[in-house]
Amino acid sequence: MSKKVPVTLRVNGEEHELHLPPQRVLLDVIREDLNLTGTKRGCDLGTCGCCAVLVDGQPVLSCLALAKLSEGHEVTTIEGISAPGALHPVQKAFIDLGATQCGFCTPGFIVTAVAFLRDHPSATREEIARALSGNLCRCTGYVKILDAVASAARSMAPSGEA
Amino acid sequence: MHLDAFELHQPATVEEALAIASAHPGRFDFLAGGTDLLPNYKMHLNLRPQLISLDRVQELRAFRPEQGWIGSMVRLRELESSPTLRERHTALAQAASEVATPLVRASGTVGGNLLVETRCFFFNQSQPWREALGFCLKADGDRCHVVPQKERCYATFSGDLAPALMVLGARVEVAGSSGRRRLPVAELYDPKGDGIRRTLLAPGEVLVGVEVPKGDGRERSNYAKLRVRPSFDFPELGVAAALTMKDGRVERLEIALGGLEARPRLMRKETEPLVGERLTEERVRTLSEEVRRSVRPVHNTYLAPDYRRKMTGVFVRRALLALRPST
Amino acid sequence: MAGGRSEGRARRLSSDSEGGRDLVKEVEESRAAAGYHWIGQRVPLIDAALKVTGRAEYTDDLKRPGMLVGRLLKSTQPHAKLLAVDVAEARRLPGVAAVLTGERYPTPFGVLPMTHDETALALGRVRFLGEHVAAVAAVDEETCERAFGRIRVEYEPLPVYDDPKVSRESVKVQIHARALRDTNLQKEVFQHFGDVPGEIARAPFKVKVSGKYLGVTHGFTEPHCTIAESTPDGRLTVWSATQVPHYLHRSLSEVLGIPMHRIRVVKPEVGGGFGGKSDPFPHEIACAALAIETGRPVKVLFDREDVFYLNHGRHPTLNQVTITAGEDGGFRAMDLEALIDGGAWSSFGTVSTYYNGVLAMGPYRFDHFRYHGWRAYTNHPPSGAMRAHGGTNLRYTVESAVDELAVELGWDPIELRLRNFLTPNCKTINEFRITSNSVRQCILAARERSGWDRKFRQLPYGRGIGVACGFYISGSNSPIHFTPVFPQCTVHLKADMDAGITIHCGAADIGQGSKTVLAQVVAEVLGIRMDRCRVAPVDSDTAPVDLGSYSSRVTFMMGNAARSAAENLKLPLLQAASELLGHPVEALEASQERIHLRGRPEVGVPFVQALHKAIERRGALVASGAYSTSPLGGTFKGAKAGTAPAYSFSAYVAEVDVDVETGFVKVEKVWAAFDCGRPLNPLSVEGQIEGSIHMGLGQLLSEGLSYRGARLMNPSFLDYKILTPQQMPEVECLLVGEDDPEGPFGAKEAGEGPLVAALPAVGNAIYDAIGLRFLDLPITPDKVVRALEGQQKKGGGVKPAPPTRPSSVGRGTSGSA
Repeated sequence: MSKKVPVTLRVNGEEHELHLPPQRVLLDVIREDLNLTGTKRGCDLGTCGCCAVLVDGQPVLSCLALAKLSEGHEVTTIEGISAPGALHPVQKAFIDLGATQCGFCTPGFIVTAVAFLRDHPSATREEIARALSGNLCRCTGYVKILDAVASAARSMAPSGEA
Repeated sequence: MHLDAFELHQPATVEEALAIASAHPGRFDFLAGGTDLLPNYKMHLNLRPQLISLDRVQELRAFRPEQGWIGSMVRLRELESSPTLRERHTALAQAASEVATPLVRASGTVGGNLLVETRCFFFNQSQPWREALGFCLKADGDRCHVVPQKERCYATFSGDLAPALMVLGARVEVAGSSGRRRLPVAELYDPKGDGIRRTLLAPGEVLVGVEVPKGDGRERSNYAKLRVRPSFDFPELGVAAALTMKDGRVERLEIALGGLEARPRLMRKETEPLVGERLTEERVRTLSEEVRRSVRPVHNTYLAPDYRRKMTGVFVRRALLALRPST
Repeated sequence: MAGGRSEGRARRLSSDSEGGRDLVKEVEESRAAAGYHWIGQRVPLIDAALKVTGRAEYTDDLKRPGMLVGRLLKSTQPHAKLLAVDVAEARRLPGVAAVLTGERYPTPFGVLPMTHDETALALGRVRFLGEHVAAVAAVDEETCERAFGRIRVEYEPLPVYDDPKVSRESVKVQIHARALRDTNLQKEVFQHFGDVPGEIARAPFKVKVSGKYLGVTHGFTEPHCTIAESTPDGRLTVWSATQVPHYLHRSLSEVLGIPMHRIRVVKPEVGGGFGGKSDPFPHEIACAALAIETGRPVKVLFDREDVFYLNHGRHPTLNQVTITAGEDGGFRAMDLEALIDGGAWSSFGTVSTYYNGVLAMGPYRFDHFRYHGWRAYTNHPPSGAMRAHGGTNLRYTVESAVDELAVELGWDPIELRLRNFLTPNCKTINEFRITSNSVRQCILAARERSGWDRKFRQLPYGRGIGVACGFYISGSNSPIHFTPVFPQCTVHLKADMDAGITIHCGAADIGQGSKTVLAQVVAEVLGIRMDRCRVAPVDSDTAPVDLGSYSSRVTFMMGNAARSAAENLKLPLLQAASELLGHPVEALEASQERIHLRGRPEVGVPFVQALHKAIERRGALVASGAYSTSPLGGTFKGAKAGTAPAYSFSAYVAEVDVDVETGFVKVEKVWAAFDCGRPLNPLSVEGQIEGSIHMGLGQLLSEGLSYRGARLMNPSFLDYKILTPQQMPEVECLLVGEDDPEGPFGAKEAGEGPLVAALPAVGNAIYDAIGLRFLDLPITPDKVVRALEGQQKKGGGVKPAPPTRPSSVGRGTSGSA
């Protein structure tokens, strides 16, 4: 059995003191140890984007991030994207515009899009497509996902234009 | 999928990292962004029991694009979004922006991309897959399945940054137990090396960073990547070019290629004769043709090797025509 | 939020559409006249809020107390006798709870009753690389893998069959004892209607086109996952990522020898299926076996490579079609052959073999048809059903041939198609009953919106536009298990004093939105808010049987069953309201949350009041509704294959840009005119069309299972190249179908049919762009460049010649100049 090391992780604003084998990746910790199952395991090799989470606000592949190296950073999962009972405008737009079908890739798309719009509030559709080009979706053909992110960007614009 | 057990080290300085490395000769890997190493580890490719993370080494994170200094642990995302690099060292910013996916670039580093493991579809497979085949020269076996023999590995160098840094005349700083040295990126890759041994780094040496000549702002450069999809895919061909003109004639011209052979190559033999010449469309065509003829891709990626070779000519020509001042 | 109407951007035709009539607007206006409240609205999925917050629960998200990890050992031989699988040492490893091999549960099974050739674990022989030879349950994944290292498998290699052409001939070793004659054929089909050889001999115009297709796989993002738990009360519960809980239920019972009533199958959320989760799978049974053996819950989760090996995707295909036409452009005969690589198991193969032929003619009329089809066993991972099963590769070859025939005749390919469409309410030569059919409206709408008449053969070299049509079943008319005859779908409703309606149905929502359709239908019939409707999870203990999410049957069959159930639930409500209002039941209707006099909502009682009155004496209301198909099709052998209570139709136009130097094909836009009857939820229908186009273009341009011998070279998302967001073209959906007479509220399928026209529309656009026809999929840039080089040698690239025959057909209706 492998040796465990103490790991302190801050996830969605909550601190967790864990004992983990050093080779344990963030995805496993989030899903198995913290029971935050919104983050999905699609390929385990960094080739689908289903496991994306935010680390210090930037989307990364949690299947390729050692949990131990996430110490001292702020991890945000899909469960931490919006306050309880509330929805982020990106989530709202995904619902209204039909951007989720089976839903398995959805959390990865949403955390990636949320971070991107924060830094690029007036992004074009092409820029959004590029920002989401590390996430695979097999159901939607991406059309409604891009519609939703573009619509969320408009709804979040300071002028409030719709 | 899970990772097999390893011991994880998190040194705070280059010297500490070197000391850990020298304590475990042949039994360690340096871990940078992890986006190349960890998938390979999950597939049980050349596992090492000691992993030395460079994550905490502040020196390696230094990023001073104005001075032309990029630490080896600078993330690819930082490169692609740097206005200075985009303006002065376009090829580098472009190459960084074309690596894999935005999610990979958030973690992937400059050093990791320079030293990325060579790839082959007989190598980048799971343990059971490779076991069913009887393994290969590059991992756990003794023969190559691309070019059947037992001497040489034909895995393809698949980094995007190296060709760009080569044409920009960049140098890497390397730290080892005997001190630090700088060498041109073009000389980092072992010309006698095969797909297994790739670089001239000594065992245990750490890549500290890259120095890109600042230049006087006259140099123009670009990078173009051939791949099936505009994200995810490793290069089937990467072409970097840099051009400085003076009085309508070539002052400096460099072309470097990746994604074709076991190492990236600076095509100096082909470009040198053009120094001092006018860069006519005719000369561009001839040069493209010469470059095309000199490359030898093998069939271990998605697209056919004859096509990748042909595209080498097309991409070189397009790159140079784009760089040539419009007259 | 869920239950509200979407504010989404409707893809409506603008008033500036080119001249003449606006077909889409006309259809929408006629639909609006029906006055439905929920039907036809852009309703967001009722579970979308759970999905966007990460709260939707998929199988791998579930945990059971004391749960073990189950893993399956892959074969390292593609075809070999299993001389021994020695697991003794693995069993002794600490942390290992059970190790099973094939002998434990030897009963063969399979999705079709006639072709049971799979076992829970390989038994006596392995037939493809990656087939499972042993199952381990242990405390964690690492221990399972250590146990694998202690399992000694002794193989005796057998000849490997990786070429279906070889499998069709006499072979030394049969992959299965049930293979035909002395071959490795799993199935052979021959049908002949009319006089095809005579027609071909006489035909003034004929074209022959051959297609070659790599296998493709579903590529859903959720890997297969199953949890099983055997409890001391003698029951077995299985949670699984399945499209067809009922067939899993049956197979578990057959193989494990436990009566169905003691097995409970639960379907959590499913992260995409596309046909790849529709068979009952060996790993599901092996997982249950491990749970029985250990007495503890066991979870089997696939890694991505396992998913590629389980495959059951679209068959690698070689096909060939000859189409003849008379001087008048009328199609006469179709002669078709298809050889499909079934891989190691039968799966849906008998159906696949039929579908690769019998779905060829629609949407066109032919009076002579001959089909010879073969499905070969090989030592590749099994092929099976994938979105637009049997109808995709076939459609590409046929639509390419139609395009080629237009060139031969000198006709515009749209004109040629208009000349040859099946009409509504007709019967095909192979006795399919066609009822609603708006293919004509589809092609006219696509022509008008795409600007076809000013683009076809007129765009610069390298730029092109192409058209193709489609046709697909809206549910298989014959259920797989046909004796005794059960309904295809049953829906139960329960209404209690909380005034919510619980909907129970075994139909599997795999992301396509069937739960939302259920709620829409029930809310429509009862005239209530959608959020009163809650769709219970699919659980075989409580949900009545639905035959599953395949063959595009759910909207049609479940929709009809739900409507019938809701009508049955409405009766006591009307009776209660009648008592309260003093008006006869016949005078009442339900709408706007009230039961009221027809057309007079103010004279009535609130829904809740009527419900409470109805419950007063009898307790909670329950109602049931079912849908059964009526007999269809001829009496010849195989006549039931391809019969459906309705068919979808489509006409797609695509515009492409080909980089003639690098061979890269960029699909700029697809105009997708689709006839799904009345779309119950246009938001979902568009999603199906857009997703289908994505999947179709993937197969066309870059996806393909690449084998060297029996070895799959690309079992990963890196090397199996699914299109990314930047590669999707703009899509304009044109939903111009008229109401179907038998579909629920006039609806037909939209799950699979939207795929088939996408590939040939682009293929034909490439032909228009550069004068080259690609019939070897995927059309990768290296193939394009190779073909362009051939073209150069023959004197250089030019656009194909424009049609010589002046356009006339259809002008009157489209009105475009």
